[in-house]
Amino acid sequence: MERAAFLERVRERLSGVGGFDLPSVVPLTPASGNGLPPVERFPIELAKSGGLARVVPRARLAEAVAEVLGELPSGRRVVVAADVEPYRAEVDAGLEAAAAEVVRPPREEWRAEAATADWGLTSARLGVASTGSLLIVPGPETPRVASLLPPAHLVILPVEHLVPGLEQVMPVLTSLADASSAPVLITGASRTSDIEMTTVMGVHGPKVLRVLLVE
Amino acid sequence: MAMTPDAAVRKRFEDRADVQLRKRHLPLIIGRATDTREARRRDIFAELDLPGLRNAAEAVRAHTVANLHTYLDRFAERAEARGTKVFFAATAEEAVSYVRTLAAKRGARLIAKAKSMASEEIHLSPALEADGIEVVETDLGEYIVQLAKEPPSHIIAPAVHKSRTEIARLLAAHHGRSLPDDPEVLTAFAREVLRRTFLEADIGISGVNFGVAETGSLALVTNEGNGRMVTSLPPVHVAIMGMERIVPSFEELSLLLPMLVASATGRPVSTYFSFINGPRLPDEVDGPEEVHVVVLDNGRSKILGTEYQSILHCIRCGACQNVCPVYRQVGGHGYGAVYGGPIGAVLTPLLVGFEKAGDLPHASSLCGACTEVCPVKIPLHEQLLALRRDVAREQKPVVEGLAFRAWSTAWRRPWGYRLLARLARAGQGMFVRGGRIRKAPPPLSRWTNRRDLPPVARRTFRERWKDR
Ligand code: SF4
Repeated sequence: MERAAFLERVRERLSGVGGFDLPSVVPLTPASGNGLPPVERFPIELAKSGGLARVVPRARLAEAVAEVLGELPSGRRVVVAADVEPYRAEVDAGLEAAAAEVVRPPREEWRAEAATADWGLTSARLGVASTGSLLIVPGPETPRVASLLPPAHLVILPVEHLVPGLEQVMPVLTSLADASSAPVLITGASRTSDIEMTTVMGVHGPKVLRVLLVE
Repeated sequence: MAMTPDAAVRKRFEDRADVQLRKRHLPLIIGRATDTREARRRDIFAELDLPGLRNAAEAVRAHTVANLHTYLDRFAERAEARGTKVFFAATAEEAVSYVRTLAAKRGARLIAKAKSMASEEIHLSPALEADGIEVVETDLGEYIVQLAKEPPSHIIAPAVHKSRTEIARLLAAHHGRSLPDDPEVLTAFAREVLRRTFLEADIGISGVNFGVAETGSLALVTNEGNGRMVTSLPPVHVAIMGMERIVPSFEELSLLLPMLVASATGRPVSTYFSFINGPRLPDEVDGPEEVHVVVLDNGRSKILGTEYQSILHCIRCGACQNVCPVYRQVGGHGYGAVYGGPIGAVLTPLLVGFEKAGDLPHASSLCGACTEVCPVKIPLHEQLLALRRDVAREQKPVVEGLAFRAWSTAWRRPWGYRLLARLARAGQGMFVRGGRIRKAPPPLSRWTNRRDLPPVARRTFRERWKDR
């Protein structure tokens, strides 16, 4: 149907209906910030969704990267997105200490490389303290697949990027509408409860999510 | 699908309910699943101003739906400016034919689908399959019911009626290997087989939780990550969106997203909130070349301007199903329609007509539990009552039948008796407040409207009914 005709039909049906205003006040939601400092709250909330976060000073970042990779029995093939470039020295040192195989794929090979990697390493635009969520913004430097295909995802996030609650994410999403095709808020590990309500991690997306909050 | 949709709708609720009630394990499984969800829902809102939140959420939905033409226009304007193709489908046929044409143009052979009630509603998959295209449901629960050749039974938990043993047997039989009935192993196996589908699919099809008018964006809520997969990996993404699924701007989503997820699962957010702004930008590494949004009317505009308009405020959380004593006994399939439980009992007759689904408003005890939990305050039980009246008015010849089909004859029929017996044992708690029954299902409500009833003893529930 033509858009104009479709909308006209809707308009006609709605004539005489009206008088509803958007709410002027909205109480705190289950995803709102509370008084707790974001850097304290983020790890607590993320843990509830099957992810782990810890705060590290920049001087110890390399060490922390190596530790995270060492904690898991998984393989050590790591695809690295360009948005962690600001931490290049620490990342490279850490991955080397973990004896990881580092892949920084050219554009056209990202998908194939990410599909066979054990870890995806990216940064994030924001971290939401109230829920332990990460706002990942795909773009020239961050392919979608880096945080989607590997079974484990490691995020390096400066603590300044933490916001208290979901309310603070919305203006950023509005401003991204023309800048990224698909921002995503990721909270913990991919999960399902479709079999008898038993929670199982890692159904389609990453099973493991680790976040290093850099001070 | 095993049964044509229309045939399924036409089959009366009572027949289907009878079949469902014969499956003795069903209430056990569904009861356990829905109990857990309901308990978590109550927990997460315990410390918050839930009445205030529901008022605000209701206001957002009422405002948007009352101004739907304006917001839909803006949505389409902005989405198209960003390179998304927006198609307005007045009917299911128009929507289906748009997707079929697109699939033919792309030479599509494999389609990966994320959970979408709207695509179920228009029976998209069977039409595409008839064109020789393989359509794979990628939500684990949907994948399971697809293998079983059954429709989904719950908005949020489509395979909630299946036991782990049944699921293991199903996957094993389909893939010709043996599998243990361990959810971990079964999930890992499904990950492996569905991963290939995501990477090879020619088109990804998803639903839409919210369309954002201000920016022309789509918001998609999933826990498994299949929503992100089908909207990221195939070269074409098609989103099917019920036309009422709009919000004015992102700002309202900071309220509606947590209300949806918390009411559905008791968590504040789901694992993935995807915000799709359009096809891949020139400098981006990946993402689909084409994004299409099919905006679906299919009977919705008929509801606007009527006393049932607020049913279009629904955000599909499934909370009303979790607390519904009838749903808990018969499961989603008992309703023989895409949307089960209280939301389905109201929405389905309005969408497909009283002739096909006029009996669904009777699939309710009118206990009001659904209205109490609805995060956008839809007066579900009042609408059910009003629908019974309207159906009776419109279908004179069956008035008597319908009247008798209600609770007064329920106990005379085998399905009704079994249902009542189950409700007496399992559901009576719903109506008991402070040791008295204050809000009983009809016809007892005629009594409880004026005074409280003492709770009935389990054994004598049926006698009381008869002696009334
Ligand atoms: S009617 Fe209300 S409770 Fe039921 S699914 Fe819709 S929003 Fe949720």
